[in-house]
Amino acid sequence: MESKTRNLIALAVIAVLAAISFWQAWPPAEKITQGLDLKGGLSVILTARPLSGGTLTEDTVQRVENILVERVNGFGVSEATVQRQGQTAFLIQLPGVDNAQEALKLLGEPGKLEFVDLASITDTATADLIVKQIEAERSEESTSTLPKLDSTKYAAFMTGEVITDAQVTTDDYGAYAVSVSMDDSGKTVWGEKTTELAPTQGQVVIVLDGYAKSAPAVQTPILDGDTLISGTFTVDEAKGLAAVLQSGAMPAEIVIDESRVVGPTLGQDSLNKGLLAGLIGLAFVAMFMALYYRGLGIVSWVSLGLYGIIFGGVLAILSALNIFSMTLPGVAGIILTIGVAADTSILIFERLKEEVEGGKTYRSAAKSGVRHAIATSIDADVVTLVSALALWFFAIGPVKGFAFTLILGIIIDLVVAILFTGPVVRMLAEGPMMKTPALFGMKGGGQRG
Amino acid sequence: MAKRGIDFMGKRNIFFAVSGALVVIAVAALLIRGVTLGIEFQGGTVMTLAGAEGIGTEEVRDALKTADVMDAENAVIQPTDDGGFIVRTAESDTAAAQQAFSTILDELGLPDQDVNVTTIGPGWGQNVTNAAVLALVVSLIAILAYVSLRFEYKMSVTAVLALFHDALIVVGIYALFGREITPNTVAAVLTILGYSLYDTIVVFHRIRENSAGLTKRSFMDMTNDSINEMLMRWVNTGLVQIVPVIALLLFGGETLRDFAFAMAVGLIAGAYSSIGLASPLYAVWKEREPKFQALKKRHEAQQAAR
Repeated sequence: MESKTRNLIALAVIAVLAAISFWQAWPPAEKITQGLDLKGGLSVILTARPLSGGTLTEDTVQRVENILVERVNGFGVSEATVQRQGQTAFLIQLPGVDNAQEALKLLGEPGKLEFVDLASITDTATADLIVKQIEAERSEESTSTLPKLDSTKYAAFMTGEVITDAQVTTDDYGAYAVSVSMDDSGKTVWGEKTTELAPTQGQVVIVLDGYAKSAPAVQTPILDGDTLISGTFTVDEAKGLAAVLQSGAMPAEIVIDESRVVGPTLGQDSLNKGLLAGLIGLAFVAMFMALYYRGLGIVSWVSLGLYGIIFGGVLAILSALNIFSMTLPGVAGIILTIGVAADTSILIFERLKEEVEGGKTYRSAAKSGVRHAIATSIDADVVTLVSALALWFFAIGPVKGFAFTLILGIIIDLVVAILFTGPVVRMLAEGPMMKTPALFGMKGGGQRG
Repeated sequence: MAKRGIDFMGKRNIFFAVSGALVVIAVAALLIRGVTLGIEFQGGTVMTLAGAEGIGTEEVRDALKTADVMDAENAVIQPTDDGGFIVRTAESDTAAAQQAFSTILDELGLPDQDVNVTTIGPGWGQNVTNAAVLALVVSLIAILAYVSLRFEYKMSVTAVLALFHDALIVVGIYALFGREITPNTVAAVLTILGYSLYDTIVVFHRIRENSAGLTKRSFMDMTNDSINEMLMRWVNTGLVQIVPVIALLLFGGETLRDFAFAMAVGLIAGAYSSIGLASPLYAVWKEREPKFQALKKRHEAQQAAR
């Protein structure tokens, strides 16, 4: 009686788990975040290297990360992420970016941001080039066709390091503008310069990596550093300028180690192929289980179903927490765990059959069979888990996603075995299996009682 | 207890010979043909071109040259099933690779299409390789430690020997067929090690269970009975494991096929080695222990007297 209660409790727990999972994961296409290789977009791995002669401290890397985050946000794509990988590497994911070339250029840029007094530029060619660059910037043409400014032909009075924040906002007339704040050293220099330029409404050229991005005219002296740059900006222009100002100076050299650009239809195509392969594999496994194990095979269908639902639930929860996105190698990992999941059922069924053939009653065969099979399964799972964990901890790049789904699969498999397959086999052994052994693929060797 | 089923242990020398031959072939293939490392390990660019029906590889190569791709002469241009190409080049500069892609589309007059370009910088490959080697070493040490603690060191040594056997065969087949080794291959090999071990541990579990209070049969016979007891499970599990992998191989598309190929070879090798290599090696080793030596003699004497 007591074991019956325990079985029922186990089944109740797994039913609740499955219900929660289903509620979390449905519809999976929306609830489970898809990685860039599936959704399409740009995925880049960058490494920070020390500038010549310098060293790379944790502080510097932290600053690099902040700057990267700001630049990535500057692209205005939703769900863009920057993830630290290891000591100095970053994985940046930009879903749906269509101008990969531009994005890559912006990300890797050293981000030398300079403020130049336009009046101080005496070389007319340089002044002309500045006008052209700003025009190109505003007309959204690619600026890369124009040459860089010759750094010997102009002198900056201030660099980007003083900028502490830059945000898109609106001015008094409701037009888009960019608000900028600065640190103390910036306030002093900026205060002096704006006081000097305000009477003549002199222009300050904002130069990022040799490209003039904007040249606002100073309207009033600004002594507290809080500056509003307004003009006839569109929202995108304002965002772009804010991103430029935010980037400050990159304190390290940025090397692009890996870039993957995947078009959206290609990714979905691979996903569909992977899912199709998974379904075909699953259908064959299910058919085999039913043909070979009969009634127990149907039990394994439910086990596999629960496994799938709970897997989906866990992935959906991890997606919602923003720590998981499904990649193609991840899909492969899931498909491969179908075998692991089915094997646990096979271990239980085979052990049960063996003990029944050895002359035990169904009831005691089910009890000891399930216990032994799950013990075997745990040992075997632990070693598989060890290799998957090593893969996950130490591998970099796409392989990580593969290892992660493998780890989840192994754990969920055990949960299903302990909470569902085991209890159900024990309960079936109490009644139906004794009455109609053939239905369960048994030769009927067990004694009653 | 009567012996039943197939006499695996009696045929152990055949198994050892087969394994030995496979390992020799694998090592020879590795030495003679070497392995082709994917761009992930050495830096370079892979791009996919679609809608290129009627275009030959030489035209693609000319387009690569026009696009000024680094070392275009030696680029690997591989036609795909759906009338496209997968192009692998040594170009390791991201911007140049992106630029080259659009030039190539223009040059070949291909329809506007989704971009699929992957570029790996030269330093990154070393990182990836180091990480993979580290993952392999750490997982082997952890496995050795766990199996030694939970079972015994003789099991862990024979299990790991079987692992090396499986990994060598997979890598050897890659060398033999000239397939490119990618990080996906490495992941697949590491996973196979897990699976192969899984199979081996399931059999070892039974051997350990049966070896408690062993008096009626020799260690070798007991091992053989253990394998036979696990045989249906072995066959059925092998089937349910290989079926999804074969589905992946046939229907999974270009990227997933990479995994599936290594997995398919490795699963077969792993399933074989748990019965054909790990178990008999372990039994041979155990039977040398004085306790089981004596048991064997007594058992043989009993049979002779009968």
